[in-house]
Amino acid sequence: MKKEIFTFIVGGKAGEGVKKAGSVAASIFAKKGLYVFQMDDYMSLIRGGHNFSVISTSEKWISSHYMNGNVITCFDKRSYEMHSDKLAPEGYLIYNSDEKGDMDGIGIPFSSEAKKYPAKNLLFGVGAVASMAAVIGMKLDDLNETIKHEFSKGTIDNLSYAKTIYELTSSKIDHVIEIGNGTNIRPIIFGNQAIALGAIASGLNVYYAYPMTPASSLLHYLAAHAEDIGLAVIHAENEIAVINMAIGSAFSGARTMVGTSGGGFALMVEGFSLAGMTEAPLLCLLSMRPGPATGVPTYTEQSDLNFALSAGHGEFLRIVASPGTIEEAFYLSAELLDLVWKFQTPGILLTEKHLSESSMTVDLKLDEIKIINPEIYQGNDYKRYRDNEDGISQLLFPPSSQIIKWNSYEHDENGITTEDPHWISRMHDKRIKKINSLKTYMKKIKTVNIMKGDLPLNIITYGSTTMSVLEALKYRKLTPTVIQPLYLNPLPIWELSKFKDQINIVIEMSSTEQFANLLREKVGYNIKKVIKKFDGRPFDPIELSTMIKEAI
Amino acid sequence: MENLNTPAENTWCPGCGNFGILTAVKNAIKILQENGLSKDQIVICAGIGCSGKIFDYLNLSGVYSLHGRDIATVQGIKIANPDLKVITFSGDGNAMGEGLTHILFAAKRNSDITVLMHDNGVYALTTGQFTPTTEKGWKGPSTPRGSVEEPFNALTLLLEAGATFVARGYTARINHLSELIVQAIEHEGFSFIDVLQPCVSWNNTYKHYNEIVEIIETEPSNFEEAIKIAKLRDRLPIGVVWKKKQPVFHDALYGNFNPTKNSFSREKRLEFIKNVLT
Repeated sequence: MKKEIFTFIVGGKAGEGVKKAGSVAASIFAKKGLYVFQMDDYMSLIRGGHNFSVISTSEKWISSHYMNGNVITCFDKRSYEMHSDKLAPEGYLIYNSDEKGDMDGIGIPFSSEAKKYPAKNLLFGVGAVASMAAVIGMKLDDLNETIKHEFSKGTIDNLSYAKTIYELTSSKIDHVIEIGNGTNIRPIIFGNQAIALGAIASGLNVYYAYPMTPASSLLHYLAAHAEDIGLAVIHAENEIAVINMAIGSAFSGARTMVGTSGGGFALMVEGFSLAGMTEAPLLCLLSMRPGPATGVPTYTEQSDLNFALSAGHGEFLRIVASPGTIEEAFYLSAELLDLVWKFQTPGILLTEKHLSESSMTVDLKLDEIKIINPEIYQGNDYKRYRDNEDGISQLLFPPSSQIIKWNSYEHDENGITTEDPHWISRMHDKRIKKINSLKTYMKKIKTVNIMKGDLPLNIITYGSTTMSVLEALKYRKLTPTVIQPLYLNPLPIWELSKFKDQINIVIEMSSTEQFANLLREKVGYNIKKVIKKFDGRPFDPIELSTMIKEAI
Repeated sequence: MENLNTPAENTWCPGCGNFGILTAVKNAIKILQENGLSKDQIVICAGIGCSGKIFDYLNLSGVYSLHGRDIATVQGIKIANPDLKVITFSGDGNAMGEGLTHILFAAKRNSDITVLMHDNGVYALTTGQFTPTTEKGWKGPSTPRGSVEEPFNALTLLLEAGATFVARGYTARINHLSELIVQAIEHEGFSFIDVLQPCVSWNNTYKHYNEIVEIIETEPSNFEEAIKIAKLRDRLPIGVVWKKKQPVFHDALYGNFNPTKNSFSREKRLEFIKNVLT
């Protein structure tokens, strides 16, 4: 039989290669020309606990994982207990028979077979892939090629173990699940990788960060490729150093970015305000996880929206934008880095663990990245804060025979400290003029995604929740219009206000309805219902479609 | 020298030790220019406090940063363009209080920056509170019964953190201080000068310093000796306490590469992305 959407779930302890097994499965699906979405659920620990990876694949575009699996492979008892009730009809529950005696499903002696090799526990990932390959009827030769390519160490043992598991599984199943084929082989990238690539396309020179989940994978990715693309990538002593160093680098003329999650961003806020005052072009990735405080480090939420919108004391332009999909993360990262340079102000790329660390197949059009480097001052009467009509003063970088002064204090056009009431109000006006200049600019670019439906009803969402919504709308004949603002500050009121008096349902991951409240306060939205989730886990599309149906 | 002045109104108290630092810096830049350094290559930063005001009084490019953060900002300037010579002006509250982590890490990684610490032992601009380097017993508005904390010794702290150039100067020995600043800026790596700076309004130490300050005749030849000199309190040696050669941060990180000047072209960047996606 053939499945329109096929989901493979693999679960085990941290350190057993769960995520790797998931990625290899994802790559097998992508090589068949299918669309793929992978979500990794892991705990904040290094060894033990329970981790699982969910990979859903389809011949049609797919933007979410599904919590019901067609194949569920469990390395241990805990995984079995957690996932055994999530088996889809005619699916296979494959469990480690060395850990659990006779149970429902297919028992495979993963542990005792692995003990025959020196690498032991490292083989579980190979085993999971082999068991799944058997179920989807993949040829052993093709599996061998994949194993050789994807698992770099211990190839001979890997192949031998894979063959054993593959043959054991094949002998125990009564039917093969076909997953289909496509024509285009698409790359799979993870959210933070998309953000990194967008920034690289947009001319990134320097990246600073202090490790913090779920932003760290951006630091790791850029550090690994620093030499390939001429980047300085620095892990500094704390987030305060990170943002202040970044402002220094922007002064030198480097396109600079920083990245963190809520707690680290809290430390950056002082510097964020400095960027506002000095008019430093600076992009910050803020990848949300459940707060407050340390919260739940490896899970997802959208609870820092208000924080991002008002970060930093004083009045200045903060650009805040949030991508709805991994593809959009690429384009928006590039666009935002460009915008913060055009308007010389700090910007936040607001996302969530669910986007940062999930992976999906993408079709990226590199030609769509259009970067215009800011005009550098050419005259000989340079004033850093020249009060031009649009509020934007031209940039100049050292070394220069002219004086370039950036100042944290209120300042005059030359960047010299002032307490003069004339200059205080004039410089406020100058900085605020940039807000209107930006709005004028934004009216020419795409700031809201509007996906027209044929019901007299709108669903408004943002960020990675968009991916869950789009997948959920494949069910129950739900065809509302979906409205997803990419920009949250300045909020594109000129686009959003068209819908304010219609029947609106907001979907977000915040207990206090931050996004719905933003729409109510700024655009006067009439909102019928807010569907919200705040348990750290992204929506399952089937579950969400039920919630939408009920709300309608 | 005239071109180092700005039209900004100088608001330091008459007799402030900061005037000595301003003069010494101007002298030092003149000497550096004679030694072949272009003024255009010099970039300054400043923290917040009376010390930071020097930013407005020097006609040099740079960033007037936040309290304590100048030490991070100045490293960021250097990292993005290692061709620049960067100097930051920090008070003792700025560098040893709010900015302590940044200065210790700058020393640890041997960032090629110069930190001039205007050490007046008091938060002057905020009306005379004790700082991390103030002697125990200081009576200020935040410690009316006298501070109960022992002071930090900035020199030993930075020596232990790995600073490759540590010196002490005194604002009333301007020529000596000018020479020290030249050496600090010319030093490749992290350089720090603890500048004894009397505050005429809150902590007038001229008389005391004039009695106990003495010039170091022979630079210490080993680390233990440097620590010993740095620990002296009954007399205060001025001069170079310690210097050593060690690879600097940006060189160790990416060699001769200049992230800004050598920024990769759009074509190279898109080529990289295409490779990742295939």
